[in-house]
Amino acid sequence: MTTTPAIDIVGTKKSGRPIGLLLVAAPVLLVCWMVIWPIISAIARTVWLPNEGSGRSFSLETYAFFFSDQYSINNLTVTLWTTGVTALLLLLICLPIALYLRFAKGRLAAYVQGLAIFPMFVPSIILSYAVIRVLGPNGTVDLLLNSVGLPHIRSPYLTPWGPVIGLVWDNIPLTVLILLSGLGNVSNQSIEAARDVGAGRFALLWHIILPRISNSILVAVSFTVLGIFSAFTLPYVLGPAAPEMMGPFMQRTFRDLNDPTNAITQAVIAFAFCIVFGLFYVRSVAKNRAP
Amino acid sequence: MARALTERRIDWTGIFFAVALTLVIVFPLLVVGTWAFTNVWRYPSVIPQEFGLKFWYQTLARADVWSAITMSLSLATMVTLLSAIICLPAAYAFARMDFPGRNILFFSFLAGHAFPKFGLLVAIAGIFLSLNLIGTFWGVVLIQLVGTLLFMIWIPVAAFQSVDRRMEEAARDVGAGPFRVFWSITLPQAGPTIAAAVLLSFVGTFYETEGAWLIGAPQIRTLPVLMISFINNQPVIQYGAVLSVLLWIPSFIALLFARRVISSGSFARGFGA
Repeated sequence: MTTTPAIDIVGTKKSGRPIGLLLVAAPVLLVCWMVIWPIISAIARTVWLPNEGSGRSFSLETYAFFFSDQYSINNLTVTLWTTGVTALLLLLICLPIALYLRFAKGRLAAYVQGLAIFPMFVPSIILSYAVIRVLGPNGTVDLLLNSVGLPHIRSPYLTPWGPVIGLVWDNIPLTVLILLSGLGNVSNQSIEAARDVGAGRFALLWHIILPRISNSILVAVSFTVLGIFSAFTLPYVLGPAAPEMMGPFMQRTFRDLNDPTNAITQAVIAFAFCIVFGLFYVRSVAKNRAP
Repeated sequence: MARALTERRIDWTGIFFAVALTLVIVFPLLVVGTWAFTNVWRYPSVIPQEFGLKFWYQTLARADVWSAITMSLSLATMVTLLSAIICLPAAYAFARMDFPGRNILFFSFLAGHAFPKFGLLVAIAGIFLSLNLIGTFWGVVLIQLVGTLLFMIWIPVAAFQSVDRRMEEAARDVGAGPFRVFWSITLPQAGPTIAAAVLLSFVGTFYETEGAWLIGAPQIRTLPVLMISFINNQPVIQYGAVLSVLLWIPSFIALLFARRVISSGSFARGFGA
């Protein structure tokens, strides 16, 4: 998309300027107050703590506590583990689907695409419930195994694998769409040219396709990392009570332990772990869009 | 040609993906759907012993279900209304007017997406604590309103930009005033896309769980929040199943309308692909 110069249709050019600013003021101020200010204030109030006297002074005490507390470190570790495993599984599942959809045509491909996008229309709370009913204790999988005389599965419900299953399911649609959109940039000519010189399937994938969609893969990974690192509903419902992922951990520290300062410290630590992915993601979105 | 090669072959890859995705994606939802219409289903029977609507009557007779439905609908309506009031004029300004800082302000709506969402919510909650907005209706409205801004501005901006400018100019040439032009020319052309954005923000708000849970609980109980407590504390399985089916209705409506938008590549590009 290219930037089209704005031509005024309301009023003249001169009077258009303040009117334009006035019209966008409300949402912009809302972003300042509800996004930018909370982030600045979160950092400020966790490094600028109330001291013995009446004032506040610089201190990294809450961060030192987080990184010396074994329970916090376990939670951070399980979050990093979940994020890594989920991102990897998503790529392993979605890349073949996207590759198939890029080159296949017809009804079967349309059906596969429809199914891959469908989880977008299933709220994660319904998904959590479905996972429990199917994979939980005495769930449908247990029923089916039992009916053919096989033993129960070791249910992933309330283990770290529960959130992984839920998060992979939930993130399939956007990962497939992002990868598919990247594969659209791989021209048929370049693939046919490589085939003509005798490239096999694997060589084609490794030398022709992957280099061209590496940016899309990074976007998909960034989007996943941002979503999973502080995911709340799925880890809260499907995950174990301890160690818990950062989302439920922050929620519990804030609401149940009534300790906003430490909850906000955890949030700032989550920001720090995601900042590279966040900036990369926002830059890619902005590149594709000009006002 | 590659096409000639694949034409007569059976599409085994496609069949594999179709079967695998049906098992993984459709099957769990069918299980929930079956539970919702089951009166008795005792282990280890593979199919329910008795089908029926017993638990629909029981679920719909619960006061907490009705108050959650009312709360969810009024929250989503209020948030969508406020979002439309502040975002649509802004979208029009971004699409059509020139003012200082236009680009940077346009991209400022991305700011919230550079951070993990729940962390941001906790940071906002820290501020709401001192404003006494925790546990209030308006606190939840504010936090959900922020979530709708990006969609409600970026999609309508694209809609306004795709309106045929020559028609507007022609209308002005024959003497129509700016509001007449907007009402008769611009709005009808941009309308369907804007309606899609409004629908998206309504449905998105309806399912918003994290903000409602962190800011609103326990006073503000939306349907997804009620669903969490059913999952955690409700021994009767069917209540959750019936609520799941009820909860899915707005998503189903969105599915009917949004299918075409999502299949086109522009949607994925909006996510940075």
